[in-house]
Amino acid sequence: MVLKNILLFGYGKHGKPLAKGLVEDGFSVVVVESDKSFYKQAKEDGFKDAVYADVTKDEVLKALNPQEYVKLVCVMDDEHLNVFLTLSLHSLFKESYILAIADSIHATKKLKMAGATKVVDLYEVSANKIYNIIKRPVATKLLEKFIVDKDGINFQEMIIPKNSFLLGLMTDDIDFSPYGVLLVGMIDENLGHAFIFITAGINHELSAGDTIVCIGPNDKLQAFEEEIKKKESKV
Amino acid sequence: MKQLLLSLALRLRTSKRYKKSKDSVRDLFHNPKNPYKKYLDLTIIFLIVTSVAILIYEVKHPVPQWLDNYDIYFVFFVFSIEYILRLWVHNDLSEFITEEFHESQFLPRKFDPWKALKEGLKEKLQYMMTPAAIIDLLAIFPAYRALRVLRIFVLFRVLKLLRYTKSINQFVEVISNKKFELLTLLFFLIFIVMIAGIVLYVLEESINPNIESLFDAVYWALITMSTVGYGDIAPVTAEGKTISMFIIISGIAMISFATSVIVSAFSERLVELKENRIIEQINKNKSFLIVCGYGQMAKMFFKQNKDQLDNYIILDKSEEMVTEARKDGYNAIHEDASRYSTLNKFNVEHSKITILCLTSSDVENIYITLNAKSISRKIKVIARVNDINIISKFEYAGADHLLMPNRVVNTMVHTAITQPTMYKAVHAILTGKSIARIDEIHVHEFHSIVGKSIQELDFKSKKLLFMGIEREGEFIFSPDPSEKIKSYDILLVMGRQISLDYFNSLYSGHH
Repeated sequence: MVLKNILLFGYGKHGKPLAKGLVEDGFSVVVVESDKSFYKQAKEDGFKDAVYADVTKDEVLKALNPQEYVKLVCVMDDEHLNVFLTLSLHSLFKESYILAIADSIHATKKLKMAGATKVVDLYEVSANKIYNIIKRPVATKLLEKFIVDKDGINFQEMIIPKNSFLLGLMTDDIDFSPYGVLLVGMIDENLGHAFIFITAGINHELSAGDTIVCIGPNDKLQAFEEEIKKKESKV
Repeated sequence: MKQLLLSLALRLRTSKRYKKSKDSVRDLFHNPKNPYKKYLDLTIIFLIVTSVAILIYEVKHPVPQWLDNYDIYFVFFVFSIEYILRLWVHNDLSEFITEEFHESQFLPRKFDPWKALKEGLKEKLQYMMTPAAIIDLLAIFPAYRALRVLRIFVLFRVLKLLRYTKSINQFVEVISNKKFELLTLLFFLIFIVMIAGIVLYVLEESINPNIESLFDAVYWALITMSTVGYGDIAPVTAEGKTISMFIIISGIAMISFATSVIVSAFSERLVELKENRIIEQINKNKSFLIVCGYGQMAKMFFKQNKDQLDNYIILDKSEEMVTEARKDGYNAIHEDASRYSTLNKFNVEHSKITILCLTSSDVENIYITLNAKSISRKIKVIARVNDINIISKFEYAGADHLLMPNRVVNTMVHTAITQPTMYKAVHAILTGKSIARIDEIHVHEFHSIVGKSIQELDFKSKKLLFMGIEREGEFIFSPDPSEKIKSYDILLVMGRQISLDYFNSLYSGHH
């Protein structure tokens, strides 16, 4: 698939496990490193397209053709370099989706200012996790399992196809339990791409192109994704 | 007789009930963490205050008979019991005898219980000679009203307060740290007062009508020296006046010296006293959180959850970090959490403690985990793991939950790339910021939803999404609507906080 290519800047403590996970999920990853030993490591780990380059130079970045990738991920170990890289990428390729990791407490703001589309703040998510472990240990453990465990219960997003039997149904009336899945929420394209939880109390009519997010055992989810393509439901 | 003594000692030694009751009495008297000690202290303080109040009232008014009886019999009774119990728990006589017996069996020696008994009693006698025990004993006596002067002994009951009030104890402790300086000063004071008194006595005894004895002269010296100067006795000769001037000056010097000694004693210990207070405060809670290390992680954690956290304390090895935490408005003390004595200060027995190891060093975190677990298995430990390769070490150390910042971030980034919509959902649920959150409903034994089916509970009408039940460690995803709730189930639901609160208010009651 052409759509699943990622340009990954950095193969350090964050980049390495991330690259591995993405490859497992069927993404094609191109690693860019400015550190010789990390670059060698990437080569050894099988990233043959890995590029060893000085990312502070604009012409180097341009030569990488970032606009051809769906997402640019900045996870360099050097915090300053990471911010600088984000800034350069954003100024050169305004349209690109840039995802960055903030590794220290004040970096999130800087990365946002530099033009990152999304910033994952290490301290923010970890701090939240601590709170969740303390207050909701069971839910946290399960949620973790949902994400990590690929065979068990999982979240999945699906786009409602044209001619689906779901079209025109109101969210309040929906009960997917016969299919063994639960509807968690949806993204409504008419309402400005916002994620709406099913429990938010907004009754909404499903239309083609909406993305719904369901939770359930993996096999049931796959079956359900096939099911919603049909005009009539068997169940 | 010997046999009788031995069998009695052996029986006491092996009786579990006897040992248990003795231990619990000992704990009540000596362990400040015992939850009932507070009530004992308050009772004794009440008795002391009332008996002193009666003493004062009695001076001018007749006291009703029942109040007199209360003072004579009840207070006497309670204090005697207390004295006897304290003496009882001080040591174990039976231990001395049985030990002597075993020793005499081991070495072919004649069994002599009297010697052992004597040693045990000697120890008890030594206890009776300590100031605290003497005060206790004297505090019992005022019940005997025949001698009026014995009434003054009521004031010994006030001295008993020393034992029962913490702040006075601390004061005495701080002062006793400067024993050497204060004793030197006292000796010096006595020396000057005596010299000045004797000199004035020799010079003015025949001239000054106010000085009749050496006692008068010494009294004058002390009054002058302390700068009180009543003026009832004053020197009349030029020589006497010269001496006055000298001792006034040395008096001022001495008072300022004494003041500075006491002040410095307090300022040296002030931080420690304050920190002990914080620990005492936190120990009163049923459950609390100990955060080790005030680094970036802890800062973020507190910033986000400031309002939801009630009982917590921050420990940090670095003075700088503690100051910073205090500046940010949190309870922090300067202690090393990897030391046994630090964690042992907390109320391990009676409170539910969760320790968060958030330092940036894995070695430190493992050490704290081991330290906590060695004190009590009951302490829950959440440890931060920086290097994913050493997870197993944390598991060996016994950490209950592991937090791997790098892995959490990795998962988040991974999800953000592979499933952007889900990322929003998961992020929103994890941060709890948004309108939806996953929460747990812990069903206790007598919860009113026990026995109800999922259909009956009708989560949907309460705007909650029912996700499943965790039962005996197994998670049942979206069970059949006819499934009935059992005791100790944990229900996993998703929804807004108000929906959750509403649900809880509906079913919070008992059967």
